Amino acid sequence: MSFKPARFAVLIAVLWAACAPVWAHHGNSAYDEEHWITLSGSVTEFVWSNPHCQIFLDVKDSKGAAVNWAIESQSPGILKRNNWTRTSVKPGDQITITLAPAKNGAPVGFSGNTTGKVVFADGRTLKMDIR
Amino acid sequence: MRTGLLRLLIGTAAVLSAALIFSGVTRAQSTAQNISGKQFPATKPAPAPKRDLSGVWQLEGDIGAAPIAPDAQIPPMTPWAKTRFDAEKPGYGARGAAGGNDPILQCDPIGFPRIMMMPTPQEFVQAPGRVLQFWEREHEWRPIWIDGRPLPEDPDPAWFGYAIGHWEGDYTLVVESTGFNEKTWLSPTGYPHSEQMRILERYTRIDHDTIAYDLTIMDPTAYTKPIVTPHRIMKLRPGTEIPESTCVWSQENEFTERIRNPATPKK
Repeated sequence: MSFKPARFAVLIAVLWAACAPVWAHHGNSAYDEEHWITLSGSVTEFVWSNPHCQIFLDVKDSKGAAVNWAIESQSPGILKRNNWTRTSVKPGDQITITLAPAKNGAPVGFSGNTTGKVVFADGRTLKMDIR
Repeated sequence: MRTGLLRLLIGTAAVLSAALIFSGVTRAQSTAQNISGKQFPATKPAPAPKRDLSGVWQLEGDIGAAPIAPDAQIPPMTPWAKTRFDAEKPGYGARGAAGGNDPILQCDPIGFPRIMMMPTPQEFVQAPGRVLQFWEREHEWRPIWIDGRPLPEDPDPAWFGYAIGHWEGDYTLVVESTGFNEKTWLSPTGYPHSEQMRILERYTRIDHDTIAYDLTIMDPTAYTKPIVTPHRIMKLRPGTEIPESTCVWSQENEFTERIRNPATPKK
């Protein structure tokens, strides 16, 4: 039996995926959990509601046109325990958000668990789930 | 030969190290302990109050997406259960896919025992003859009757069943329940159950801040043997409040239209 780097890399990927599953009550299959991304843009709406809070964000594409991203987060209860309030994010705020994008290419994503976070223009950071 | 063995050892050590780094040492330890099925090690004696679980508790680990037990530990299903299992389209696990028909996506009560898999806190309140269990998820609750009454012989099927309990020693609350409807899944990865399901739980306060939680499901209509779930750990969360967290049909629909459907691959 010899050490095979490719097999090792696959094993690491599997372990990583197993260690940090997205938790959204409707399932994690729609999102690409292996490629979290960051997006910067202007907030258009913040929904503080069950089942999941939602941030809508205008992000400029490569041609300068605004694409409105729909990003789900955790429930208000979980966010409150992570120092959020219903006014933590307001329309017009310039933010950078870390999220797992939808696999189907739509401008939709999940920002939650211990990886998801919002960084504000002044450098303040709010994590979605510090546990 | 020796080189091969050395490579194997290095590879194994690297994999284990990576697992610890990626998952966090603490979480990896508790997860390994939970999945291994081993008994919890004796912990330091702490001044836990006797016959008292009062307080807000939260299950540890990456729950919410976890199965009731690993697939390999689920006993063979009866034909009745297999038919229902095949009709399930869960969002998690080996069968997980976007979309799906998880009953909670239309605000059906999540029911018991699945509510015990949620990554949100729960609170025990002790009252004469009862232990009340409140969950943040869905703002739900159930009484656990500890006044000596037996389980009802012909209970009305309910989402959270009918529970009685008794203290075994000063630190273990043993809970038996029955009277469940068959509309809920056992976990986010699915798995059906029948109205004949009976559940045995043990909440063992192993120190002031820790409950060891064990759950066994007996449902001969659906499974050929009891489902013995992995040990789980609950930690006391002093100061944690349980806010309203109700499943509201209109909010769920709006979420589905704005987030869930756009993220679901077109068929």
